[in-house]
Amino acid sequence: MEEKKNNKFTYREVNEDVINFMTKTGPLYYIILAVMGVSAVTLFFLPWLYQVYVGQGVTGLNVPVLWGVYLVNFVFWVGIAHAGTLISAMLYITKTPWRRAVARGAETMTLFAIVLVGLFVFTHMGRPWNLYWTIPYPNHRRLWTSFQSPLTFDVFAISTYLTSSAIFLYFGMIPDLASLKHHATGWRKHLYSILSLGWRGTDRQWHVQGRATMFFSSFVLPLVVSVHSIVAWDFALSIVPGYSKTIFAPYFVTGALLSGFAGVVIMLSVLRWACPVFKKYITEMHYDRMGLVMLFISLVWSYLTAMEVITGLYADNTFEWEHIKYKILSTPSMQLFILMIFSNTLLPLVLMVKKVRNCAVSMFAVSLFVLIGMWLERYLIVPNALSRKFLPWMWRDYCPSWVEVSITAGAVLFFATMFMASIKIFPVISIFEVKEDAGIPMEKEGH
Amino acid sequence: MRTTVLGLFKYVDRLLSASEKLKGEGFSVTIISPVPLVHEIEHIEGEKKSLLRYFTLFGGVLGFLFGTVLALGTSALYVMPRGGRPIFAATPTLIISYESTILFGVIMTLLGFFAIAGLPYFEGMPHFKGEAQCPEAEIDSFGLIIEDAGGDKWRYIEGVLKECGASEVRKLED
Amino acid sequence: MEGILKRIAEKFRDYRVPGYYKKFDYRWTMVVDLDMCNGCGACVVACRAENNSATVGKEECRKGRALNWIRIERYVEGEYPDIKVKFIPIMCQNCSSAPCEIGCPVYATYHNQDGLNVQVYNRCVGTFTCATYCPYDVRRFNWFTYKWDKPLDEQLNPDLTVREMGVMEKCTFCIQRIRVAKDRAKDEKREIKDGEVKPACVQTCPTGALVFGDLNDPESSVSRMARNPRRYRLLEELNTDPSVIYLKRVMAEGPSEREG
Repeated sequence: MEEKKNNKFTYREVNEDVINFMTKTGPLYYIILAVMGVSAVTLFFLPWLYQVYVGQGVTGLNVPVLWGVYLVNFVFWVGIAHAGTLISAMLYITKTPWRRAVARGAETMTLFAIVLVGLFVFTHMGRPWNLYWTIPYPNHRRLWTSFQSPLTFDVFAISTYLTSSAIFLYFGMIPDLASLKHHATGWRKHLYSILSLGWRGTDRQWHVQGRATMFFSSFVLPLVVSVHSIVAWDFALSIVPGYSKTIFAPYFVTGALLSGFAGVVIMLSVLRWACPVFKKYITEMHYDRMGLVMLFISLVWSYLTAMEVITGLYADNTFEWEHIKYKILSTPSMQLFILMIFSNTLLPLVLMVKKVRNCAVSMFAVSLFVLIGMWLERYLIVPNALSRKFLPWMWRDYCPSWVEVSITAGAVLFFATMFMASIKIFPVISIFEVKEDAGIPMEKEGH
Repeated sequence: MRTTVLGLFKYVDRLLSASEKLKGEGFSVTIISPVPLVHEIEHIEGEKKSLLRYFTLFGGVLGFLFGTVLALGTSALYVMPRGGRPIFAATPTLIISYESTILFGVIMTLLGFFAIAGLPYFEGMPHFKGEAQCPEAEIDSFGLIIEDAGGDKWRYIEGVLKECGASEVRKLED
Repeated sequence: MEGILKRIAEKFRDYRVPGYYKKFDYRWTMVVDLDMCNGCGACVVACRAENNSATVGKEECRKGRALNWIRIERYVEGEYPDIKVKFIPIMCQNCSSAPCEIGCPVYATYHNQDGLNVQVYNRCVGTFTCATYCPYDVRRFNWFTYKWDKPLDEQLNPDLTVREMGVMEKCTFCIQRIRVAKDRAKDEKREIKDGEVKPACVQTCPTGALVFGDLNDPESSVSRMARNPRRYRLLEELNTDPSVIYLKRVMAEGPSEREG
């Protein structure tokens, strides 16, 4: 099924729009960027330095709740990272035309989200300066890493994902950089000339480019699923009630996609706000499709959430009962649980209405709630399950400390800073794909 | 002295008919375009296979072996019982191999892409031929480069290109 | 090359089967007779003194971050007013199928040749995974760089290290004492005798509720006590195969699932 072609712009216009967005920046953008950058440093890096210097004791962690908000953020950002690759890879393989305008932005988001994932591994660790010990390499201590540990799976999965998505992003950008170097001046011209590697766009180059995209997509798609499954196994391979669940791998993958798509919608809205010209490329049709995907994933997520609780209840296991009672019936968790169900199950149902899907404001609002709900989902799993482990003598509630709250907020700002800075340096709209979207110029219609 | 002819087209079907005609007469023709014309070219010339798949396959196999050898080999070098599990365990090894298959496959695909597309392609590199530069063909025009067009061939090629509807024909000599 | 392959093949045969650790020289085991425990807490103090446990200060202690490797938990049996308060000392159970060991990515916790669950402080990177996976919650974390209150700083045990900020620690069955006994036994070319090794808590227990020994030796006192019908192991149903055996007389009234 070929969608209607978007014929509202010419090829040259695309180049000009993209380069103008990157070079002509108003003072407001710089002010916002500076404020966000400074707040990110203040909220993220300073408390973190304090924590590294003083010790993990400044967090609210305590036996038995030793996996707190940092790991919640870790899982959350892995989830955000997923939609980018899914949009680029799966929609490429299935030849879905509406991916073209949004894929680059989503891939950029993916890359920075994984950078944050790495940072949260650091912040979570007791001795972060020894992180390299988790990487297997021949060393004078003759030590290797334990390949049976789910955390080692993580090291492999996350580093593979970081490498692959960086390659995917850069690879897709080469023709665009080559195209932009003719418009750019000054340092940009040099940067684009070097990074585009002398791409000329010959038929041979395009041919291998297409093949390579297909191979990358076929690699990255199973990678997306495996990365979040492995993140789920960090929990599911333990024996802790509330962690040790076979449903976790699909549950986490689904949740990741839900939050990822919500993240992409928010990113697109910010992009449209920052550059109104992009409304030509990122249209209501994109919101509409994204909304449909979110609605579908939200329904799958809701089913899995119900199953997670119900299978626990049916097992009729004392430990599982305590866990579910704590998760659903005790005071702070109950309210969070209700909010989570509201924002992830009930609110996305409004996406059934086409008007809601086509409206940027309502899509933004729904996505924001979905993101909050998905963060809460991870919160209700990660620290919450540990509060009710096996021995009742060691039941303890968890409350994040100011350091954890500040680092969590700072991470969001840091992500936004990185993203907003990068879209001024690299094309956030895939130029050649948008041109494809406009159609190949033919004198005679059809071929 | 080499002479190169560059024809610029506004329409792809025009370009393709010119290219087909010249190729049929034995000229070496290169199409340069701002968007992939893979589908359109394959529509005329049939599907072309790319060597890239061998790079990808090699990367994948290499990655799988790397992961397996790494996981099993380091366990053998460093026998440490953990949690009553076997030292040489199948499941974790498979997971590690799975990830490294993808990692190596992606890296080899990128290298293969560079090798086949001839990138990086800068002045001074051994394979740099100094072909015609054509900025328009990276923005909104479709270019056709015909090499070895010295002497009386040039008139003929110009005629063919004009006849097929080229908006501009340039003669480049170096 | 061939030699290496041969060595790997040999190891593969030996270590493919789960439970191979049962072939090890010793299997250190502790038996806790709960009917003799009066909850005096001497074991906790002895453990702290032996193992250089840091003092964390009042504020941290109130939060529950005290670095006690052994803790005495209380529970109540019977219906009011006919109740009895009982005690159960809980230390690292040194599980044979320890969930903590598979969690660690850097081999900081693994199983050694004596059936002990070992924690290597220098290797720890502080991922918290071991303590998260531990069903008994016996692992303690060094949240800060701790200072010893005077005069405790003058009584540190030279046989083992102090732990720096950011590492996990736990009961080791006083591995430094086992080490000394093994060295002595090796010098005298014999096996360790039953009762030769006593962790600090066992040595200190006034009622003799704690007994320590080698379960692989069928004649040792722990082996004899392990055959006692009162035996049970904590959360045995989780398949962790703990090395700590509890003995407890089951009360006549009230159901008990853990009767041995």
